[in-house]
Parts: sequence; C-alpha cells; structure tokens
Amino acid sequence: MRVQGLALTLCVLIAEGTLLYRGLRGGFAKFYPLFYTYLIYDFTTTAGVFAIYWLWPSLHASAYWLCFVLSIVVEFAVLVEISDHIFQPYLAIRSLGRALAIAISGLLAVIYVFPAIFPPNQMRKALLDFALRTSLTKAVLLAVLFLVIRHFKIKLGRNSAGLFLGFSIYLAVNIANFPMEKRFGDHYAHVLWVASPAAYLVCVVVWTLALWKVMPLVVASSTGRTREEQSEQAALGLVRFNNTLSRFLHK
Amino acid sequence: MSALIIYAAFAICFLVLVLVLLTRGRTHESSACPEQDTGTPDFSEDRWLNLSERIFDPEDARWLREELAFPVLADSLSESRKQLAIRWLKTLQGAFTEFVRAPEMLTDGSPEVDSSQSWRLLWLTVRFQMLIVYALMVVRLFGPYHRLIPSFGWMQYLRPQGLQLQPSPLARHMR
Repeated sequence: MRVQGLALTLCVLIAEGTLLYRGLRGGFAKFYPLFYTYLIYDFTTTAGVFAIYWLWPSLHASAYWLCFVLSIVVEFAVLVEISDHIFQPYLAIRSLGRALAIAISGLLAVIYVFPAIFPPNQMRKALLDFALRTSLTKAVLLAVLFLVIRHFKIKLGRNSAGLFLGFSIYLAVNIANFPMEKRFGDHYAHVLWVASPAAYLVCVVVWTLALWKVMPLVVASSTGRTREEQSEQAALGLVRFNNTLSRFLHK
Repeated sequence: MSALIIYAAFAICFLVLVLVLLTRGRTHESSACPEQDTGTPDFSEDRWLNLSERIFDPEDARWLREELAFPVLADSLSESRKQLAIRWLKTLQGAFTEFVRAPEMLTDGSPEVDSSQSWRLLWLTVRFQMLIVYALMVVRLFGPYHRLIPSFGWMQYLRPQGLQLQPSPLARHMR
C-alpha cells in the first residue's frame, strides 16, 4: 500500500508541476494569484515531505501533518479568490462570495471547528478531527456558493467550474475518509495512504484540464462610463427595486 | 458506526449536488436562446405599478362580498388575485435577477470603486432578496390582502388602564 501511495504522490507532483508550468508560462497566474501560490506551496511541501520520508522517516508524520494543516487553512483563502473571480463582473453582488465565505467559515469555525482543537485529546485524533471539520466547512461553503450561483443563473465558466469541481472531489473523499481513519485507526491508515493522494491526484488533473486555457468570462466593452458612474447607476437601480417592493410591505 | 454512515452519505450527497448543479448549469447555458426571452417589464413604468396596486387592493373583493353579497365570487376573486400577486412578485424577482446579472462594461483604466460601495450594493441586493422571499411567503400563506408588516396596534392593550404616556420634561421644555 505504501508503495502505491508513494507512486501516487509522485504522480501528484508531476501533475502539479505541469499545472504550474502551464500557468506560469501562459501568464495565467495573474488571474488566480492565491491559487498558484497555494500550488507552489503544495508542490514544494509535497516534494519536501517526500524527501523527508526517505531521509528522516521518523520525522515524516510530524512534517506531513504540519504541512497538511497549513494547507487546509490556506484553502479557505483560495476558495475566497475563486468566488471573487466568479462574482467580479457583477457590480451588485461583487462582494457576495467573500461575504458568504466570511459568514459561513466564521460561524462554523466558532461553533464546530475550534471545539475540536481545545479539549485535551490525542494529537493524532485532534488533527484528524480538525481536518475533517475544516473539510466539512469548506464543503458547506462550496455547496452554498453553487446554490447562489444557480439562483442568480450566473455563468460559471470552464476555469471556475473546474476549480470548484476539483476541490469538491477532494473534499468529498476527505469527508468520507477521515472519520474512517478516526474510527479504525492504524487498520485504515493503509487505505488512507492510497485514498488521500489518489483523491488529490484526481483533483489536480481536473484543475489542469480546467486551467489549460484561461478564458475570461465577460468581454468588457467600452461604454465611456467610469466604474464610479456604473456603481452609482447600479445603486440607483437597486434602490428603485427595493422601493417598489417596500411600497407593498408598508400598505 | 452511524457517524461513519452520516459522513459518507454527506460526501456522496455533496458530490451529487455539485455534479447536478454543474451539468444543469451547462445545459441551461447551451439551451438559453435570446429569442425565447419574453423580456422583463420595466418597473419604473406607471402601467406596471398601477397593475400591482390593483392586484393588492382588497376593495373589489370587499365590494363583491359586502355590497353585492357574493361571498363565493369574492373568494374566487381573492384566489385568482393571489395567483396574480405571486406571478407579479416572481416577475419582479426575475427582473431583479436580470438587473443583478448585467455585467459591468468599462472603459480601460477606470479607477476601482471603493469596497464600502461594493458592500452597500450587496446589502441592497440581500435586503431585496429577503423582502421578496418574505412577501412571497406571506402572499402564499395569507393571500394578497394580508398586511405584510405585522401591526403593533395590539400593544396598546398591554398597557395598564389609566396609564398615559407623558411627554418628558425635556420635550416640554423644547416645545
């Protein structure tokens, strides 16, 4: 199982390397700066942890968990960046993705994620619990974002859809795997050695396919109006809609 | 053991939801045809506002029930007005969504709008969404002639008898 896991990790490195090469060479990184920074971080830490496994095997577990916990926290910022990217062309809901991310992550962090860290527990179980709960929080955030996008009938575009799909596959596998690891311990650890890199490999392959070519969603055309004028125009329109509805509420 | 099943079920449901929403979104985009669009009404037009005044006005039903003594017809009218009110609110919601979905068109190099303006626009959008959901719920449950904002007139009965609100000395002084 370990050999398969290591082979899959190597495949992840190759896929990540391809994605990074393509993104940096094509200049796509400027569209998703946080995502590519996350990829660079993940590529270097995966390679580093891979090296540690061969050189200092006793340090491998600690190094792996440290990098993993940091990466799952950084993933929140990446999700915010992708949602910003989706709502960016729409003046009235430009901050919607960010607002949802802050509200859902903040609420679930206080009532669901942080309680997993504080009680004196076994380190391994606490880390697994933390990883599981953050994955669940991200899944809830993604599901809400998908529903809002659907509600407003917003075109997702190949890039953002692929990024969301990749994350969703990875998170779903983590959500199914971590409780099993918690419950069965070392008996399941062998499966996790393969399942976790396999899920991440699928995720990176989806990302690579989605970001092979960056396609801007909306082609901006010149109307001679500045952002401020457009913003004022949008505010006036929204106030008009609110007033139309308020008339009936106050009847 | 049940926790494991719940987590596994959540993971499967989450993936299915994502796949369904993604594929539905794609088919919706590909089947969207501009000719099929019936066009959303302009809500600044008086005609639309007059129509809505008529839909939400209880006078016709009251006239049928009380002056002509046709309670069955009055109920039937109320029911059809309820359906009309729901359609009107949904059309307003659709027009709002169309408005929100209009992408920004810019001249090159125009400066960024400050984020406070962006949050203000978001608040107006969220406010409208909450109000329309509430209005639709009230119309569906109680009909178009129900008060949408609850009355607080009953609060005067909670006050003890003989207790009158006196203006404060400061208010008297200011007068």
